[in-house]
Amino acid sequence: MAKAQDKVLMIGWEYPPHNSGGLGVACEGMTRALVGSNTQVYFTLPYNLDSPDHMRVLSCVDPSWEQSDQPPFLAYSSVVKQSVKRLNAAELSSLPHSQLEQKVERYAQLVDQQAARFRSAYDVIHAHDWMSFPAAAKVKKQTGQPMIAHVHSTEFDRIPDSPGSSYIKQTEYQGMHLADQIIAVSFYTKKLLINKYQVPADKISVVHNGVSPWDQAPSQDRLHFAQKRPMIAFMGRLTAQKGGYHFIELAKKILLQMPNCLFVVAGNGDLYHELLIKTAGDQLSASLLFSGFVRDQQKDKLLERADVFVMPSLSEPFGLVALEAAQRHTPVVISKTAGVAEVMPSAVQVDFWDLDQMTKQVLRLLKDQGYGQQIVKNQLQDLQQVTWANSAAKIKKVYRQAFLGS
Amino acid sequence: MPQLCFYLHLHQPYRLKDYNVFAIGNDQSYFADEQNLKNQQVFLKVAHKSYFPMLGLLERLLTQHSGFKFALSISGMFIEQAQLFAPEVLVLLQKLVKTGRVELLAETYYHSLAFLYSNKEFVWQINKHQQLIEELFGVKPRVFRNTELVYYNDLVKQLADFQFQGILTEAVDRYLAGHQRTQLFQSHSQPTLPLLLKHAQLSDDIAFRFSDKSWPWYPLQVEQYLDWIEIYPENELVNLFMDFETFGEHQWADTGIFEFFASFVAKFLQKPWNQFKTPQELFARFWQNHQSAASTQSGKRTSAGSGPFQRHQQQSQGYQQNWPVYDVPEPISWADVDRDLTAWRDNQFQYDSLRVLYELEQPVLESGDPQLIQDWRRLQTSDHFYYMCTKWSADGDVHAYFSPYDSPQEAYRRYSIVLADLKERLL
Repeated sequence: MAKAQDKVLMIGWEYPPHNSGGLGVACEGMTRALVGSNTQVYFTLPYNLDSPDHMRVLSCVDPSWEQSDQPPFLAYSSVVKQSVKRLNAAELSSLPHSQLEQKVERYAQLVDQQAARFRSAYDVIHAHDWMSFPAAAKVKKQTGQPMIAHVHSTEFDRIPDSPGSSYIKQTEYQGMHLADQIIAVSFYTKKLLINKYQVPADKISVVHNGVSPWDQAPSQDRLHFAQKRPMIAFMGRLTAQKGGYHFIELAKKILLQMPNCLFVVAGNGDLYHELLIKTAGDQLSASLLFSGFVRDQQKDKLLERADVFVMPSLSEPFGLVALEAAQRHTPVVISKTAGVAEVMPSAVQVDFWDLDQMTKQVLRLLKDQGYGQQIVKNQLQDLQQVTWANSAAKIKKVYRQAFLGS
Repeated sequence: MPQLCFYLHLHQPYRLKDYNVFAIGNDQSYFADEQNLKNQQVFLKVAHKSYFPMLGLLERLLTQHSGFKFALSISGMFIEQAQLFAPEVLVLLQKLVKTGRVELLAETYYHSLAFLYSNKEFVWQINKHQQLIEELFGVKPRVFRNTELVYYNDLVKQLADFQFQGILTEAVDRYLAGHQRTQLFQSHSQPTLPLLLKHAQLSDDIAFRFSDKSWPWYPLQVEQYLDWIEIYPENELVNLFMDFETFGEHQWADTGIFEFFASFVAKFLQKPWNQFKTPQELFARFWQNHQSAASTQSGKRTSAGSGPFQRHQQQSQGYQQNWPVYDVPEPISWADVDRDLTAWRDNQFQYDSLRVLYELEQPVLESGDPQLIQDWRRLQTSDHFYYMCTKWSADGDVHAYFSPYDSPQEAYRRYSIVLADLKERLL
């Protein structure tokens, strides 16, 4: 007898092609794999998107959002800088501070309305990160269905060197404690949830992200551009979390020894202007370039062309893009603590603050081809286990636990 | 009743197209071209708003008023683009020059800041510009205007190879030492050269304030403007220096700028004691005076020299009593309220871009690759650095008005990528 189909209301925030980072990519891979293993998914988004072939998208859009031609809200840009009128501490921590946070509140209401319309269509709520937790909480209250909080990233990751937004932290805390089960994208994140959010360990399951198979054969000629110089790439949001400053420092050190190297920073974010000024100030013009946010073919080209991919994140719950670089036969240097290191132990691992070690490793990869090839080979081996099908199977187990618990 | 020196500047840069990192090593065309029509669009737009109507007006005024004369500087970048996009502009210019009452000035072909980084390159670009002007117009410029009227004491040294009769620059209060700006100055250098200083207030009344509704004198009446000019006595000079695009582009036709100018010229010349002068005519006084001063100072030694150039080459002469010395130790320009170099070289973006660009001089020239050399030179055009300026307030608005990019950051980002490709070509 076939197992009963799981029916999921998944509360999302972004989805390709309108994504600002890895969350959208992860949602795509995850939902495809879930649907492929007997799951029906209804997926909510705070903007209009035609449903892809495998699931129904429920757009939960306030008409006023449509009028502004803003891109989908950048969930991962920091929101703490925006000024608020003076309030006492208690008020401050309980009020949404920014437009983004107000949108999150409004999104919750709209999701709740949609959830009521489709009430019979799901029997578990699966919410991705803090932006969707208030919505999930409302739906849970309305329907009594079990709620799963999927944590891809926390405020502690995003704002590593300052307190961050207390509103967001509080939203995260409440969501996690209300949830029946929690999925963390890595053991690194699980530990953080236990230590910083006091979540009971037995409520958290670790489900590493998968990576959609890279079905194209690697190009014969990887030298899509800048053919004549070694190239080192960085790809990620330009926020303190991702270690863009360290990448620039790394570039400086490496250029002292290999002056022809080219460094490419791909991504957008709060720190863009600061990093740009630092680059010029450190006399790295024409050696360290900013490509802006890249996707699709350009993303493939950059990851494939790079001789080394570096992810010097200060805090990295997962780091999907490191897997994508590895798929494209590029040796990867990552922070030791990055979640992705748990599934790709063959990547070169360094402490993000240990510039000397990072420099040494990158130089070795650039100079010692045999070493680089060995790393690439081992990374590809690691990747065989890192599939969305494996992740989906684990997620379905979490659904089971949630049903049992509720 | 002063003498009026009217001078207009014509220039258009080659703006960069949207060149991205993926183009490095694959695409060596950096500037908006046939596929990427930005430069052509800008040129044609400005041609229709400004070049054609103003050149037409100037031609008419030259015909109507035998006393009307003026000076023009035309950058090599302008001429190249005019040849490509609107050759009729050049035909009109040639017509004007043929009247003999339009003086053409010397400058760097690429409208560059080369004087800051490489004298060799600076001199090369002036020579190239001289050749172009001679070829097209059959005249050889004798008076120099540096990019954006940048001037400082040592610039004169850098021009030692040329026998210029004088230089045009800005009157900057901090260096006037209390002198009236409405006279001929001499440079603080040996040998010395005469200088004409822009009358910023009267120039900017037209160039910037003409259509400013919050200006107390808006709308500016010709009589009012003449009053301001005629305050000066007849032996003084009022030097009105501005961008050509002032007429029709910065101040649109509907502001009445063309009518204003036509009426101004007519009314100014109605009074027989009012005179237009070209820079060369004004500098001639200095050289006449110089000649007599020199012959009394150094006796018979100068008798062999017959023109100002030979005399100029005689390094022994000191300053003359007649002309105040304009002592400018740091570079000045006609840009922004600062009147210095900070429009082009102030922040890290600008400093570092310029550093990389001029570090490439030797390898680029040694490559012997004409296309590469030309690209490197086009990247020297000062506008590229102007777009990177992060000064704010009213100056920032002016920069933003001229910039093809959304932000100074984007101007830098793109320029840096292009420099990376230039370096790639040298590997």
